[in-house]
Amino acid sequence: MIQLFHVTKEYPGDAPALQDVTLAVEKGEFVFLTGASGAGKSTLLKLIFCDEAATSGQLLLFGRNVAKVSPRAIPYLRRNIGVVFQDFKLLPLRTVAQNVALPLEVQGLPDKDIRRKVKLLLRSVGLEHRAGKLPPSLSGGEQQRVAVARALAADPALLLADEPTGNLDPERTIEVMELLSAANARGTTVVVATHDRSLLERYKRRVVMLERGRLVSDGDSVRRTAGEVR
Amino acid sequence: MNFRPIYFTRRALEGMARGPYVALVGTATVFVALFAVGLLAGVLGGAERLLSTWAGEVRISAYLAPGTDLAAARTAVAAAAPGREVRAVPAAAALRQLSEELGDQAHVLDGVGPGVVPDAVDVQAPGISLADARALAKELRALPGVADVDYGNAWLEKLETLVSRARLAAVALFAALAVATAVLVGNTLRLAVFARREEIEILKLVGATDAFVSTPFLIEGLLQGLAGGALAVGALAGLHGVLIPRLKAAVGPAGALRLTDTLPPALLLGLLAGGAAVGLIGSALAVMRSLRRA
Repeated sequence: MIQLFHVTKEYPGDAPALQDVTLAVEKGEFVFLTGASGAGKSTLLKLIFCDEAATSGQLLLFGRNVAKVSPRAIPYLRRNIGVVFQDFKLLPLRTVAQNVALPLEVQGLPDKDIRRKVKLLLRSVGLEHRAGKLPPSLSGGEQQRVAVARALAADPALLLADEPTGNLDPERTIEVMELLSAANARGTTVVVATHDRSLLERYKRRVVMLERGRLVSDGDSVRRTAGEVR
Repeated sequence: MNFRPIYFTRRALEGMARGPYVALVGTATVFVALFAVGLLAGVLGGAERLLSTWAGEVRISAYLAPGTDLAAARTAVAAAAPGREVRAVPAAAALRQLSEELGDQAHVLDGVGPGVVPDAVDVQAPGISLADARALAKELRALPGVADVDYGNAWLEKLETLVSRARLAAVALFAALAVATAVLVGNTLRLAVFARREEIEILKLVGATDAFVSTPFLIEGLLQGLAGGALAVGALAGLHGVLIPRLKAAVGPAGALRLTDTLPPALLLGLLAGGAAVGLIGSALAVMRSLRRA
């Protein structure tokens, strides 16, 4: 699903954000990407999401070398990837249903199909009754559930989440993580960037740890939480 | 991208409804700029029309060589100026008229006989353009027996210079206004796109192509440009209706100016098309810049 070979990402005048990272994520995996702030987690997600290009090394996504994908083809590649952010990135002047419908509109689905799919998605995240509300009137947890519903709308093969629970209390955190786990159980590959150790302890999944741009460990969360995760 | 005009138009209208202030500013900017352009064009068009009317109150006189048959010359001139009023003026009649015009000073003509003043044929040429007057004079001069032709050359030439300078000034002003309009509208639409940069970012996040993102913005620009152009056309027509009766009191011939003299259909269509083009180009530039950043 995702393969990185000696990937380095540098920004002018700064220390490398990623250095010589080699990593593979298989189809159907659930991976935690962890490390302190500035370790390179978000940069790695941006590379996978084709938001930025690696300075050197090779990144294969769905078997395609991302560096060789034309800019025109990137939107179509992104349609296989759902993304969830810490700050939700919802359109404040569009209703919950309209926000969730965006990826489906982009793909040109008929209105009838969009309405049906949005209804199902909102039901799956427990927000069917909030369909007509504007995001600012929702709680943080609800907004993140809307963001998850939107990310899953187009049935992506890969779901990336950058600190998805960073703004949520423990109860809402569990709700969102359960949604991500459910998506994974249905076959979606999930990569979650987080520095929340409690998540790694609660969910026994593969943990990839970055430190100052380098991959320093890669294994199951039982071993990581036993002492390696800082 | 699928071609979905209804979907994109709906999204454009929704976008304007969500940000009515920005849409109004965009429309108002196009309106003000096009109104200024239209006003300038209308005033110049009207002025040119008035000047040409005055210039057209022209009498072209063909003076005959001694011994020329006046009746034959009149027939020849009438043939050269079809449709115009042609009058034979014998020397005696010309002297009599001159004497009447001189009034108390008529005695200066004492001793002047008909042989001094030549017979003439006058052509009344209201509404004639300077170029046509010049061509007709040349034609008359070539007729047998015609010694000289006068059509008020000196003041007409001056008038023509004045009109051509006004035309040049208008072209320069048009160019300046067109650039100012494009810059102003472009900046306003850039603000509109900037205000929705978050929407652009999120659309790209969910896999929208550049065409998908930009089409509603282009439609918005087009609609705002058309609305601004239509408002400018309406305001100019209204202004014509209000101003012309008042102008008539001050400048008589201005009362004869019709809407098509000051605001010809080509100008009104040009304003509408210009508004649409400015809106479309302005929003295209703004959204392209924004997409490069997203």
